[in-house]
Order: sequence, then C-alpha cells, then structure tokens
Amino acid sequence: MRERIEWLFGVVLRFSAAERVLVSLSAVVFAIFVGGVVVLVAGYAASCESAALYILGAPVCYNPVEVYLVMLEGSFGDSFSLAATLQWTTLLLFTGLSFAIPYRAGLFNIGAQGQFILGSLATTVTLLWLADLAPSGLAGTLVLVPVGLFAGTLVGALYGLLPGYLKVRFEMNEVITTLLLSFIAADLAFVAVDRFFTTDDIQGTVTDRIPEEATFSPLVFPSSTDFSLPVFVFALVVVAGCYWLLMRTAVGYDIRAMGAQPKAAVFGGASQRFTTLFSMTAAGAVAGLGGAIYVMMILGRWQTGTPPLGFDGIAVSILAGNNPAGLLPSGLLFGALESGGRAIQLRLGVPSELIEVLRGIIILLVATPELFRLLGAHLNRRGIIDVDTGGSD
Amino acid sequence: MRAEFETAAKWTVGLLGLVLALLVASALVAPDSVAGEVLDRMLDAGYASAVLRVSVPITFAALGGIFAEKTGIINIGIEGFLILSALSSVIAVVSLTGAGVDPTAALWLAFFVGIAVSVVTAGVFAVFVIRYQANQVIAGLAIWLIALGLAPFVSLVVFETVNSPSVGTFGTWRIPILAELPGVGPVLFDASPMVYLMLLAVPLCWYVLRYTRLGRYIRACGDNPRALDTAGISVSRTRYIGVLLSGVLCGIGGAGFTLGQLGRFVGAGETSIGGRGFLGIVAYLFGNYNPIASFGGALLFASFDALQFRLQEIAFLNVPQRLLQALPFIVVILVLMLVGRTRIPAALGEHYDEKE
Repeated sequence: MRERIEWLFGVVLRFSAAERVLVSLSAVVFAIFVGGVVVLVAGYAASCESAALYILGAPVCYNPVEVYLVMLEGSFGDSFSLAATLQWTTLLLFTGLSFAIPYRAGLFNIGAQGQFILGSLATTVTLLWLADLAPSGLAGTLVLVPVGLFAGTLVGALYGLLPGYLKVRFEMNEVITTLLLSFIAADLAFVAVDRFFTTDDIQGTVTDRIPEEATFSPLVFPSSTDFSLPVFVFALVVVAGCYWLLMRTAVGYDIRAMGAQPKAAVFGGASQRFTTLFSMTAAGAVAGLGGAIYVMMILGRWQTGTPPLGFDGIAVSILAGNNPAGLLPSGLLFGALESGGRAIQLRLGVPSELIEVLRGIIILLVATPELFRLLGAHLNRRGIIDVDTGGSD
Repeated sequence: MRAEFETAAKWTVGLLGLVLALLVASALVAPDSVAGEVLDRMLDAGYASAVLRVSVPITFAALGGIFAEKTGIINIGIEGFLILSALSSVIAVVSLTGAGVDPTAALWLAFFVGIAVSVVTAGVFAVFVIRYQANQVIAGLAIWLIALGLAPFVSLVVFETVNSPSVGTFGTWRIPILAELPGVGPVLFDASPMVYLMLLAVPLCWYVLRYTRLGRYIRACGDNPRALDTAGISVSRTRYIGVLLSGVLCGIGGAGFTLGQLGRFVGAGETSIGGRGFLGIVAYLFGNYNPIASFGGALLFASFDALQFRLQEIAFLNVPQRLLQALPFIVVILVLMLVGRTRIPAALGEHYDEKE
C-alpha cells in the first residue's frame, strides 16, 4: 500500500533531468536487447547456407552479438565509417530539432520528412537554375551556398507553416495534417522531378548534378566520403541557436509555457496563435535546411527514395527528451545506427530495416518512463523504496 | 436520435447530389472528349465496386479508431495494426498452402491469423498506454514506425524480397437473383466477402456503441471516466476492451484488404497499406465518431483512392500515377478544412488513475 502511494506521488512529480537521462539510456539498452531477440528469431526463420550459430541444435542464420559488433564496426570502426555516421548525425540534428521545437509548444510535427524532401528539392532546383548564371570558383561558392541553403530553408518553413495555419484557422489536428502532408510532399516531389527536372544522363527519377561550387567537399575525412566537418559544426551552431531561442528568449519562454501549461501561458499574455505558427514555421525551416544540406553535402542532386530521416528525427528528439541540449548524443546514436544498418546488410545479409524496428522500440520505451520507474521500484522492493518525493508537500 | 437522423439525411442528400451531378455532367459533356471519357469511367458499375473494395481497409480502420478513442485512448497506431495484419495474413497463406491446406481454407485461416496478430499488437499497445501510462500519441507513432520497419524486415527474411509473391484473393460472392438487379446488383450483390462484412460491421458497430451496455460504458469511459468508475465499472478494463476491439477491426481491415483485394503484401515505401489507416483516422474525425457517417467519409476518400486504378486505364490522359496516389490525401485535407472541428471525447488522451 505504501509502495502504491509513493508510486502515485512519483507519477505526479515531473521527472528530473537525471531521471530522464536514465530512462533514455535504459530504453536504448532494452531496445538493443529486444532487437537481439528479433535478430535471433529472424535468423531462425531465414534460410542460409551456413548457420552462424546453433541453439539446441537448430541452425540460426544470424548471431545477434556478431550483428551488433558489425554494426559498431560499421559506424565507428574506421574513418570511412565514422564519416558515414557523422554525415547522418548532421542531418538528424536538423530533423530532430524539427520535432523538438514544436514539441515544446505542445505540438507534434510528424511532417519533418515532407519538409525535408521539399527543402532538398527546392535547393536542387534553385541551384540548377543558377548554375549557368553564377560565377565559377570561390565567388560562385559564396553566392551559391547561401542561396542554396536559403531556398531549402524557405520552402521547408512554408511547408511547416501550412499545418500551423491549418491548426489555428481550422483547428485541424497537426498530427494528422503533418503526416498527410509528408505523404503528399513525397508524391509531389516525385512527380515534379519526373515531369520537369529529370536528367537524360541516367535512368530513374533523378535531376542533373548541382554545380560543383555549391557542394561541400570533405575536409579532414577521406575525399571519397560525403562528410564535411564545417557543416557538422554549422549544424551544432544551429542546435545551440535553437537551444538559446527556446531557453533564453521571451519567444522561447512563451513556447515552453504554452507546451507546459497552455491556460497559464495565455493568462500570462502569450498568444497560442503566435506560438503555433512560429514553432511550426521554425520546425519546417530547420527540416528544410537539413534537406538543403542533404543535397549539397551528400547527394549533389535530387533523387527519389529519400531515406526516412524525418521520421528518424522524431526518435532522435524523443530520446533527447526533446531538449536541444540532448540532440548531439542522441543524433550520434541514430547516425551510428544508420551507418551500422548499412554495414549489417552488406556484410551479414541482415536486412537494414532492423534499424527501423530498433528506432520504433526506442521511441515506444522512452515514451513510457513509468515502465522503468516500476521496474526500479520492483528491484528495490527489499530495500528502501527510493522514490523522490521532494517538493511535493 | 434526432442528431443521428440529421446526419444520415445530410449524407444521403450529399451522396445523391454527387451522383446526380456526375450524371448531369456526363449528359452535358461530349462523349468523345477527355472529360466525357473520365466520367464514363466513373459512372460504370466497375468503378462503384472498386470504391467499395478500396473502402474496406479505410472503413475498418475508422471503426477501430472509433472504439479506441471512444474509451479515451488516442490510437495513432492503427496504420501499424493494418500493416502487421496484412503481412502476417500473406505469410500465413503461403505457409498453409505450402503445408497442403486447400487454398480457400488457407485464405480464411490466414484471414484469422491476420486478425490475431493485429489483436496481439493492440494488446501490447494497450498495456503500454493503459498500464504504463505511455504518451498515447508517441506510443501510437512508435507502433506505426515499428510496423513500418518490421514488415519489410520480416518479408525480406521470409520471402527474400520486400514484396511478397501473389497469394490470390477471396474473389467475389455472387448472390443469385439480387445480383441481376440493374445498377446496384453487380455492385452490392456480386462483391468480395470483405465488402459484405464491411456493410454488416458498420451498422453493427453503430448499434453496439449506441444501444448496448458495452457501448454506454465505452462512451462514458471517454467522456467521463470518473462517473464510470463511481458506477463501479473498471475504467482500465473498458479501455482494454476498446483497444482490443480496435485491434480486431483493424485486423479485419488489413487482412481483408490484402486477401480480399490486393492478393499480396508490398513492403516497399509506406507498404501496401500506404496511409489507409491514417485515412481511416480522418474518416472518423470527419464522421464525428459516428460509424455510419465515418463510413460515408471512408467512401468519399475511397472514391479518390480508386481513381488511381481507373484513370490509369485511360492512356492518353497521362496523369502521373504518383499524383493520383497523393490525391486522396489532398482531398482529405481540403475536406477537413470544410468540416471543421469535431467534438472529441472529453477525457481523450488523459491517463485515469483508479482509486482503490
């Protein structure tokens, strides 16, 4: 009974920062364990020429330990792997921010994927259009890079503003609209490129290459990689800027107040209309900026089949407690999963979709802090029940 | 009751008006023109049958969503339930026919396997959101994202491609005499068993929610859980029932779509379900949580979904296929703008602590 009461107190209390980190870490460990079980079951069901291990005499195609080791090696093992990890991390910082900012205002932006896709397309089209007009060499870079980044940001911002507007004007639920707009964006981008911007050089729905001056070349890392350190630093600056915006400015205060206590925030003079429009536009802008960097740093063109970086961003942000300060470690983890996922597919034949399963499990577990609290209480049952009730009375 | 009549009347008038407008348009437009061709394609019985078939997953997703949300649980995971039941039903058909089961029996058994998998998934979701108080929106998203990764993963492991082989469908059941009726006969009485199931499920769900004790508990659970608790009915048990029923209905939707229409599972991109679960969510928002009105919404979205298959047949029209794919989603957003706010259950998304 006492336990039950203390547990209820625990529910009422807000989780402290340390507890949240603990929850996130436990979620990752749990997800890795569940992922291992999935690999084992899959290895049992799959057919292969030589089994990786035998359990009770039954051949199993994949060995979970080996899978995770290859994943680790494929994400941090050498400078090529590290470059791949950091390249995905860079993009995930943007899509993670895109979920985190509206979340603090009490809104869900599930549409980073669409904002990212349209941003990357806008950057490509703008740069292709400017290709013949811009000067070459350094002058060209100085013109094309800012314009390219701006084009992606602008289109992403507009595509984020749209669900914000639909929310304040028509009271349409942003979870549904951002999601549907994501689907629409993928289809529209495909049709636009297929009809108007497709290249004759190669097969498929692909544009021409953007001018060399507008691409970021790898520094420090091997030249065959697609990772540029200055861009990573730029991403960190953007994350820091958003942290500052949310935590140290009046606008950020209004946003956070609206997320925590909408009635009190409105009473305190904040405008729900403004925080909604602002945070959704900002979310779209950072996602679109991520899309611009995806084109300028990695692809050098637009092509169909954008990886689900926008959806990964949801996981990155949730794992980070939706706090920009936590995005770097969380983004690194998912960047590593992304590059590690390609490694396990290449070297072990384990489908890289496993990463998406892990991503989903991590989201589910982080959204359930209560599970870990109960688990902790269960483990502590014999000793003192260590529930922090400070400040409740 | 009065509101119910008004909704039904509004819908009947609306749908009749739409059909009438199309008939008038087809009479006015020159038959050889592009518009004439399009209208011809839309007004034949084949298109009406296609709309009914395509509306199966959307309708069942909507019904499933209604049962969860009426108890106060936001269920964004519907799409995930559909995906997992779709995949598992195909795997079940392949393994059952492989084991020598008669193809028709295999299809029906697999249909129930699909439902079972959906119910188990719903059960996991329910434990997380009810017992462990997970954030309902995020947990639902997680279920969708897990399904979106797990389905192609499993498909790759089992079939070695993300897309399954074709397994065949239930085909159509022709009801003698009635199917001979001009106009409605071939549409309503020569249809897939899944269409009949849907036409039964919609009024049944409406009746259950409206007139049975369970329905009253479910509605009270979402609107005033404290009152239900005070009356001595367990809130969390009612919520478990709501979410599990949601799993049953979504399972019928996912497996029914796969075995009733498509005949295979596609794991590429957003999978063969491709957002139909989300269309279902919008359908019940549109129908204001009323199963019959939501069915109307599902039919409306399905009529645009089915255009994909029809307009492709008109070669000279040359509409990009991906544009048609986006069409139902665009329509949904426009429709929601017009419909405006729906009255959601008061306690939706809130955890309820049962006092002892």
